[in-house]
Amino acid sequence: MQRKSPTESEDLVDRTLLRTAGAAVGGALVMLAVVALIFFVRQPASTLSTTAPSAADASSAPVTVNLPREPRKFEDVVVSTEWLAQNLDNPKVRVIEVSVVPGVYERGHIPGAVNFVWTTDFVDTVSRDIIAPDRFQELARAAGINNDTTIVLYGDNDNWFAAWGAWVFRQYGAEDVRLLDGSRSKWEAENRELSTRAPTYPPGNFTVRQRSDLRVFLPDVLKVVRGEEQKVLVDIRSPDEFSGKIFAPEGFQELAVRAGHIPGAVNVPWKKALNDDGTFKSVEELRKLYAEAGVDGSKPVITYCRIGERASHTWFVLSEILGYQAALYDGSWTEYGNSVGVPIANPAGTIWGVK
Amino acid sequence: MSNALPGSSPADRAAPSKPVLTPALILRNGGAALIFVTLLIGAHVLQTTPGYGASAALSLLIGAALGVAFERGRFCFFCIFRDVIEHRNAGPLYAILTALAVSGIGYAIVFGAFLPNPFSGRLAPDAHIGPVSLALVAAGLLFGVGMALSGACISGHLYRLGEGSGYAPLALIGALIGFGLGFRTWNWLYVTVIADAPVIWLPHWLGYGGALLLHLAVLSVLGFALLRYVSPLPPRPARQLDIKYLYEALFRDRWNPLVTGAIVGVIGVVAYLRVEPLGVTAQLGSLARTVMHTSGMLPARLNGLDSFAGCATQVVQTITDNGWLIGGLALGAFGAALIAGRFQPALPRANGSVAALVGGVLMGWGAMTALGCTVGTLLSGIAAFALSGWVFGAAVFAGVWGGIVLRLHRWT
Repeated sequence: MQRKSPTESEDLVDRTLLRTAGAAVGGALVMLAVVALIFFVRQPASTLSTTAPSAADASSAPVTVNLPREPRKFEDVVVSTEWLAQNLDNPKVRVIEVSVVPGVYERGHIPGAVNFVWTTDFVDTVSRDIIAPDRFQELARAAGINNDTTIVLYGDNDNWFAAWGAWVFRQYGAEDVRLLDGSRSKWEAENRELSTRAPTYPPGNFTVRQRSDLRVFLPDVLKVVRGEEQKVLVDIRSPDEFSGKIFAPEGFQELAVRAGHIPGAVNVPWKKALNDDGTFKSVEELRKLYAEAGVDGSKPVITYCRIGERASHTWFVLSEILGYQAALYDGSWTEYGNSVGVPIANPAGTIWGVK
Repeated sequence: MSNALPGSSPADRAAPSKPVLTPALILRNGGAALIFVTLLIGAHVLQTTPGYGASAALSLLIGAALGVAFERGRFCFFCIFRDVIEHRNAGPLYAILTALAVSGIGYAIVFGAFLPNPFSGRLAPDAHIGPVSLALVAAGLLFGVGMALSGACISGHLYRLGEGSGYAPLALIGALIGFGLGFRTWNWLYVTVIADAPVIWLPHWLGYGGALLLHLAVLSVLGFALLRYVSPLPPRPARQLDIKYLYEALFRDRWNPLVTGAIVGVIGVVAYLRVEPLGVTAQLGSLARTVMHTSGMLPARLNGLDSFAGCATQVVQTITDNGWLIGGLALGAFGAALIAGRFQPALPRANGSVAALVGGVLMGWGAMTALGCTVGTLLSGIAAFALSGWVFGAAVFAGVWGGIVLRLHRWT
């Protein structure tokens, strides 16, 4: 066999290289064309709306007034980690995680748990409101929830937003809504099983039946302030926010122009309902805690906080665990403290942040 | 600088190959062993400390692995870019291409579990997908110039810290100052260009499969196009795969770029799966933000900053997971450098010190404005199929090119 001269061989290598590179470029172009084709054929289904729902959407669900239901046993509204571990395969039970920190659910959740993101799945993304009923129904069905499903919620930060989720579920007519005692951190501390797999379920048939007794608005609160209605207001923020010493804890962006609290409100910070390990206190302890502040269930209760989320935790304790008639004022201090012409109480004497 | 693949030329090799037990050798290997044992004990302690836990421990180990890979494989973005620009040698660049290809595959797999429906309008949780704006381009360009001036990018300086570089501490201090400047200019940039900038995530349009195919296609085209700039490998004698060979391949010779890239890619996927996307500036930025907050130099409000995913900064009083990661990175690189005999502490020269400091400032500003550096925005961004990663990468490359043309890299 004749040997090629070095230059010829280099030439050959160069040409082969060029041909390969050419083929690669050609291949890439073909693939780009395919990808472009897919892009144009398939309309990306964007489910995050950027416009507020119209009034017609919001009123599409039937509104029912339900009387407060019979108080349920503690075990029927708060489940232990052990109970949940035994019921993970129970088709009647659907577990939902609502965590504030992004990536917490994704990096490991209770096996079979569905992820609900509070910023998109429980609130409207444009107007300041809870999620529209039809969209919520869609999400609940996609999670395989029926009207008789036992819904167990849990999350980070001591179930803070899980309780908000529980309130939205109850508000839209779910009957059996429970929280995981001790939240996510107890499940983790007990080294229980976690999964990174996102579950899929056959669609459920959950139908929204909107309740009107679990949520109140500013006019309802003003009726209480003016003495037209006999209800108790529970402010669940820190004592310093309650007194008006500070406008909000450090780092929070949503503020009110005025500091202080709604006249007549009593102050029971939400975390007082929890033991040091994040589990709920016993029913007797809870009853005593709120009775000492003048909340004994004899009068209907309204809970509020700064933006409405933490107060849902106290709402859960009063309404679901203790069986009191309780509603959440989700407008809370960021609405009340910004409203013109409403009376406020400000023991600290803070006006415009100046003494 | 040799014109061949690293690891293939004698110039890249350090330490005599004869395993004669000299006191220096014992000291080096003993020191390295001590470092790695310390890292393991540190991880164990972190894991059992309340408030830190598994994610902090894992971050420390991920950082250490990254430090070893960076040091052994010379995964230094500046050196790699300079080899292409100055020496027309694209060999080392294959480390970056491989890292991107491997981590892209891994990210696609992880994304499928994290966010099953990419068309929902939501972004994958905390993946480094940023806004594509003129500010990003400017940040990339200045970051590149800063790399040329100071002789390495931020991750490069972190691993050089482990090699005893005298410029690395200066450049990192400069980066802290740069971060401070970045916070000062953020509000203006945010309102002017960033707020309305599109956040483009390819899976939104193509799905994970389509995005990965496009990702690999672009990398393949780059890979094929650059083949002509790869110098031929020198002949290697056939060798017995024994302990001595393994020792030399692991601890003495430079790792092959393809191997280094694959390892970095895998580490990136592990980090995203278990803790957060790889990044090396979040703790630095948080430190700058905390210092400025305490001294009242921080703007009262940083508009929209905390709403973007990236090397997120916050006012903190503790060491974050990212802090453990960069600590592990420097220590891991230190250990690897000790074994390889590449720990050569050197005092900086006066001119070079100024250049390193100024380069650091430019990089700090760029990393703050781009929400990450060559690791956080380029590597973790491109791996996450974010257009911002590609734009930042191209701008950094252009910046390095400009810096080299202006001969800025001669200062350090």
